[in-house]
Amino acid sequence: MKEIIRIVVSLTVSCIIAAFVMGTVFAITDKAKKHNEHLNVQETMLGLLGYNKANPAPPDLKLFTMYRYIIEDDKTKNLGYMIPVSREGREGYELLVINLKGEFVECLSLDISPEKASEESERKSSLRAVVKPPRTFTYSDSTIIARLGGKRLAYLLPGEFPGFKTFIEVMLALDPSFKIMGLEIMEHEEDPGLGGEIEQAYFKNQFKDKSFEKVKELKVVKEPLPEEYLRYLEAGTTKEGLISRKEVEEIKSKYQDRDIYALTGATISSRSVTVGVKNIIRKFAYRVNILDSVITGQKIPVAF
Amino acid sequence: MPATTKTNSQLLINGILNENPIFRLALSMCPAVGISTTVMNGLLLGIAVLFVQVFSSCTISVIKNYIHPRIRIPTYTLTIATWVTVIDLVLAAYMPAAYKEMGIFVKLIVAFAIITMRLEMFACKNPVPASFWDGVGMGLGFMFAMMTLGFVRELLGMGTLFGYDILGFKPLLFFVLPAAGFFCVGIMMAVFNYVELAYNRKKKG
Repeated sequence: MKEIIRIVVSLTVSCIIAAFVMGTVFAITDKAKKHNEHLNVQETMLGLLGYNKANPAPPDLKLFTMYRYIIEDDKTKNLGYMIPVSREGREGYELLVINLKGEFVECLSLDISPEKASEESERKSSLRAVVKPPRTFTYSDSTIIARLGGKRLAYLLPGEFPGFKTFIEVMLALDPSFKIMGLEIMEHEEDPGLGGEIEQAYFKNQFKDKSFEKVKELKVVKEPLPEEYLRYLEAGTTKEGLISRKEVEEIKSKYQDRDIYALTGATISSRSVTVGVKNIIRKFAYRVNILDSVITGQKIPVAF
Repeated sequence: MPATTKTNSQLLINGILNENPIFRLALSMCPAVGISTTVMNGLLLGIAVLFVQVFSSCTISVIKNYIHPRIRIPTYTLTIATWVTVIDLVLAAYMPAAYKEMGIFVKLIVAFAIITMRLEMFACKNPVPASFWDGVGMGLGFMFAMMTLGFVRELLGMGTLFGYDILGFKPLLFFVLPAAGFFCVGIMMAVFNYVELAYNRKKKG
């Protein structure tokens, strides 16, 4: 009995020490890690817009983030968009509340600067000042709007959907007509070599240049990926993929309206990405159309 | 086993040649077969193992007198897991570029037989300096073995080295596949055994 107690105690103590060490290191490195992740996301977003080290983003490219909240009380449920606005040259945020029928309810100004808006706690406290109980608000999602030369360049949509194992986190770039500009897989836990292949160029690049009309009915086909299409998809990632510009255009137009070729041995992962992307785009297009009509109807000076 | 009588340099050489983790002790065969497809993979995994091995060996060597003998294996696992987590977090925070390449390898190491084995066989019976050098030797030995395997497999399988095109064609694609890993390990083991046999015979004769 004495022996058992000694074993239990020493095991517990060693676990506690280990936990303490790990916890301390985590606390020290957490900030730097978050910062890196933020930089990483920033880089991914610019990459989706077609900018990289060799082709840096122009200085007048601006990214605005819009946050969507669900605002509800006992009876009604409304959508609250935290939209970046610029009134009299000053940039700030306003909360635009729209009901589920797509009608304007109210527009409240928020006391928050654009720099602070990326912190969730800051957003919460500024929202709490205008959304009084019994009304409550819950965070839903965010959208990044890229603007270049006085025009909307693209929408960047972070999103997640269930994959084969757990959730797959993605970042989608759409142009103003909702054509897909690019898809990036941010995080996933699919099986390496099977579902994990969704992050490879030859799968994710298949989504590129699909029009909104095509996306609405996008399916997964279980056919082998044609050789020339594979070379086109992997162009830029491998040396062998080099093909002429004319060929690129030819292959692009040929496959633009095709369905998604499933990954061998990972039909479910392929299908869930396709369906997930489809849903994100469909919902977003519906919402943003309503939002835009309300914004023009109410003459809100949005920044984007 | 009493404390070692070997000098530090002997311990270092011991890990690389006489008791090479993969070719002589035949430990950690999964990564040897699975990951040694390119020289770069071998090098990265080797570096990761080197650090974890050295840190864990030193830690166990310091606390060896306080470990209850019945729970030594859980303590080893815990120590390795702690160091792996620490290295993983530090890399992610301060060296994001290196983390991008090495992150996946670092996380794998918790389950490596070679590290637990060295703690059980060596670090828990020897003073800190000896354990340190043993850890360095074992880490370097592992790295050496992985890079040798990677060299053969990458050159024969893909015709490249460190990602640079050397041959310009792919001689035997078979070598990148897992099965070829077994062949390579087997052949290298035979070579090592033969060399030792020849060496001992020479010494005697």
